[in-house]
Amino acid sequence: MKTIAVIFGGKSAEHDVSTITAHIPIIESLAASGQFDIWPVYITKAGKWYADKAMNDLSFFMQSDYEEKLVKQKQVQLSFENGFSLVWPGVFSKSAKIDVVFPSMHGTYGEDGSLMGLLRMAGVPFVGCDIFASATAMDKVLTKQVVSAESIPVVPYVWFTRAQWEKKADEFRKRIKEELKFPLFIKPVHLGSSIGITKAKNEAELENAIEVALHYDDKVLVENGVLNLIEVTLPIWGNDDPTPACVERPLNKTEFFDFNDKYLSGGGKKGGSGVNSRYSELPAEIGEKMTKQVKEMGLAVYRTLGCGGMARVDFLIDDTTKQIYVNEVNTLPGSLYHHNWRKAGVSNVELVLGLVKLAEERFAAQQSLQLTFKSDILQKVGGPKVQK
Amino acid sequence: MKRFFSRFSRRYIRSLVYMLQASEYHIQDYLNWYSRAQDFSAVEKRKHIQWSVKARTLNVLAWMLVGFALAAAVLAAAVLPFPYDLFVVFSLALGITYALPYALSGFVMLGGVIQKPLEQRLIRRAKETLRRHPAVKIAIAGSYGKTSMREILKTVLAEGKKVAAPPGSYNTPLGIASFVKTLTGDEEVIIFELGEYYPGDVRMLCEFVEPSMGVITGINEAHLEKFGTLERTADTIFELADHLSHRTVYVNADNAIADARATAGHIRFSLGAVGEWRVRNAKTGLEGTSFTLQHGTIEINAHSKLLGLHMVGLLAAAAHIAQGLGLTVNQIEKGIANTEAFAHRLEPKILSEGVTLLDDSYNGSPDGVRAVIAFLAHLKGHRRFYVTPGLVEMGERKEGVHREIGKELAEAEIENVILVRDSVTPYIAEGLKNAGFKGTLVWFEDGPRAFAALPHMTVPGDVVLIQNDWPDQYS
Repeated sequence: MKTIAVIFGGKSAEHDVSTITAHIPIIESLAASGQFDIWPVYITKAGKWYADKAMNDLSFFMQSDYEEKLVKQKQVQLSFENGFSLVWPGVFSKSAKIDVVFPSMHGTYGEDGSLMGLLRMAGVPFVGCDIFASATAMDKVLTKQVVSAESIPVVPYVWFTRAQWEKKADEFRKRIKEELKFPLFIKPVHLGSSIGITKAKNEAELENAIEVALHYDDKVLVENGVLNLIEVTLPIWGNDDPTPACVERPLNKTEFFDFNDKYLSGGGKKGGSGVNSRYSELPAEIGEKMTKQVKEMGLAVYRTLGCGGMARVDFLIDDTTKQIYVNEVNTLPGSLYHHNWRKAGVSNVELVLGLVKLAEERFAAQQSLQLTFKSDILQKVGGPKVQK
Repeated sequence: MKRFFSRFSRRYIRSLVYMLQASEYHIQDYLNWYSRAQDFSAVEKRKHIQWSVKARTLNVLAWMLVGFALAAAVLAAAVLPFPYDLFVVFSLALGITYALPYALSGFVMLGGVIQKPLEQRLIRRAKETLRRHPAVKIAIAGSYGKTSMREILKTVLAEGKKVAAPPGSYNTPLGIASFVKTLTGDEEVIIFELGEYYPGDVRMLCEFVEPSMGVITGINEAHLEKFGTLERTADTIFELADHLSHRTVYVNADNAIADARATAGHIRFSLGAVGEWRVRNAKTGLEGTSFTLQHGTIEINAHSKLLGLHMVGLLAAAAHIAQGLGLTVNQIEKGIANTEAFAHRLEPKILSEGVTLLDDSYNGSPDGVRAVIAFLAHLKGHRRFYVTPGLVEMGERKEGVHREIGKELAEAEIENVILVRDSVTPYIAEGLKNAGFKGTLVWFEDGPRAFAALPHMTVPGDVVLIQNDWPDQYS
C-alpha cells in the first residue's frame, strides 16, 4: 500500500476552498480506492503544518473549535532524508515516509509553484502541474503573454503593479481609456476562485474595482468585457498526451460566475452533482463545431504552458462573432472539477488514481535526466585562469 | 484482546440483545455468533436494534443482573478483608460479563415456554378460521423465489379476484396465524408462503393452512447448514406436493432439482413453457421483461417491470393460474403489467448521479445469483459493478458455490467486482482468477465501506448491483 500525503490549507485567500477540494473528492476517492495510506497535511492560515489521520474527515474542519484542537497537537516537520517524510519530533518521535504527494492548495504558495518547488527539492512525485506551468498560470497576465506568443487569442488588456499604479495612475487610466472599452473586468492577477474580481461599467466603478483588486494583490489586470458573452471552461488531464473532459458552461446567475456560485451555493440537478451543478450547463450547448474548437484551443494552451497532471482552461466566447478567447488557466481546479470528469466517464476514483499515475510517470521521466556532471573546475580555482 | 475488553464496553448488553433479535431469537444461531465475535462494542453495522417489548425486557433483565453483581461487589468490598475483597470483586466483574450471554439465552427460552400455550391457542383459532374460509388457498414453498412468486400472484390475480397474502416474511405458524386474524372472510384467493427451516416444517404448515394448490419455486443451498444435505431440503420442500397429492402443483422446471422430482401430474413452468403453453420472444433489460404466452388460439402479451429472464417462468405460472381461476386475457396482461420489482430483490433505482442501482440485497441464493449474473450479462453498453459479501449458510458447499459465482462473473465479463472481505469471498476471487477475469477487482473490509466508496467509483450510465446483505450475526 502506498503512502500518500494530501497537502491543503495554506496562506491563501482560497484556504477553505482548498480544504474542501482536499476532501471532496481527493481524500474520499483515495480512501475509496483502498490503495493508499492517506496522510492529510494541513497548513494553517499562519503557515503552521499539522498532520493527523483525524483530519481525513472533513467534519474535523467543520468543528467551531478545530483551530484550538490543532494548537494542542504537535506540528509536523518535513524531512528530505532518503525521500520525503513527515516527522513528529519529540521524545517519542515518529515519522511517515511519503511515496507520493497530492497537493490540494489553491492560490498563493500552493498553486503558484511554491509547493511544487519544495516537492521537487524533496525528490518526491507529486500530482498536478509542475513548478513552471503553475507559476505561469498563477499570473493571469503572464498566461496571456505566453499564449499570445503562440497566436492563441486573448481579450485586449492593460496591467500594472501597485507601485506603478501609485506612481502613474493617470497614465494607466489614459491607456485603459484608449485601448479598452467598457464594461471592463478588473482582476487581481494571482488569485483564483474569482476572488476580488469586479465588473466596471464606468470610470467611477473602475476606480473602486482597482482598489478592491489591489486589496488582494499587488498586480492588477484590466481587460475588456466580451459582449454577448458565453463563458466556458474545459478540464484537461495528461502529461505528454493530454485528454479533455467536457466543455462546461457556467450559467450567469449573478453578474458573473463568482466565488459564491462556484463554492457556496450547494448542489442542484443541472450539470451533475456537488459544486457548480446548478450553475452550469454540462456539456455546454455551444454546438459541435465550437466545442471542437474549444477543445483544440484548450489542448494548445495546456501544451504551451507545459501543464501536466491536470489543469482547467477558461474561455470567453463572443456569441455574435463566435470569436473564442482564452481567459485563464487554473492548475488545480476546485474539487478537481470531478462532476465534469464524471460526465466525461471518469469516476472520482479513476480520476485520483490516474493523476497519481501521471505524477509517478513524470517523476520517473525526470529521474532519468542527467542533471549533474563531473567537473574539475573546483580544483582549478586559484590557478592561472578559470574557464567559465 | 478486543474480545475480552469489549465485554466491558457500555454497548455490550445492547449488542447481546441486538444479536438475539437479529438471530430471530434462535438460540443456536445467537450462540454461534457469540463464539465467533471479536468485538462486542460494534456489532450493529448494517441494521440497528428495534426496541420491541421483548428487546426492552431483555435489556432491563440484563441490567438488573449487572446491578445485582455490582451490589454484591460493593458488599464484598465492605465485608471481606484485603485481598479477598479484591478477588471477589474481580471475579464478579468477570463472571457477570461471561454469564450474561447465557443468562439472556435462558430468559429467551423461559419466555418461549411461557409463550408457547398462548401461541398454540392462536394457531388453533387461525386453523379453524382457515378451514371454514371458502377462498382458494395457494401455498408456495421453495428455497428461493417464494416472495417473488407471492407478489406476482397477488398482483396478477388482483385484476379479477379479491386476494390476500401475508405481508413481509410471515411464513411461520405464528406469523401466518397473526395474518389470518386480519382476514375479512370475503377473500377469493389467499396466498401463503411456507417457510422451511427444519425437516417437517412444510408439512406442518400444510396441515395448518390446508392449501388448494401449490407452487414449488426451486431447491438450492439456502439453509443448507440447517438441513445438512440438499436431499433433505428437497424432501422438506416437496412435503407440499406430498400433502396436495392429486391436487394442482406447479413446479419450477428451470430448477434442476425440482424438475427431477416433479411427476407427470405436476404442472412444470419454465422460461420456455408452462404446462401446455409455450413462451416465445422472451426479452429483458433495465426497462423490464417481456414475452408472449401461446396456447392454441390464446395469446398473452406479457410486459412486466420485473428484471431478468428468471422471472419469465414465475410470470408464466401466474398467468396459467390466473386463467385457471377465470381471469380474462386482458386482465392477465394488465396484471402482469402491474408487476414490478420487490423491495431489495433486483429492485432498480436511478440515483441522482445517473447511476442505476440494482438492489438485490435480499437475494442470498446461488440460483438467484446465477439468474442475476445472467441478467447483467445481457446489459450491454453499461459499465457494470457487482458488489457482494458472498452468501451465508452454504455449509460444506461454500467453496464450490463461491468459486462458481467468480467463474460466472468472469464469463459475463463484468467490468468491476467489489468484494467485502470475509470467510467466503476469497473463493469468489479464486473463481474469477481461474476463469481469467479481465475486469477490476476491489476489496473492502466491510459492506458500509464498500457502499460509501461506490459513489466515487461510478459515473452516469453505470449499473451497480448490490448482491446479498451479510447479516450482522454472520460477521
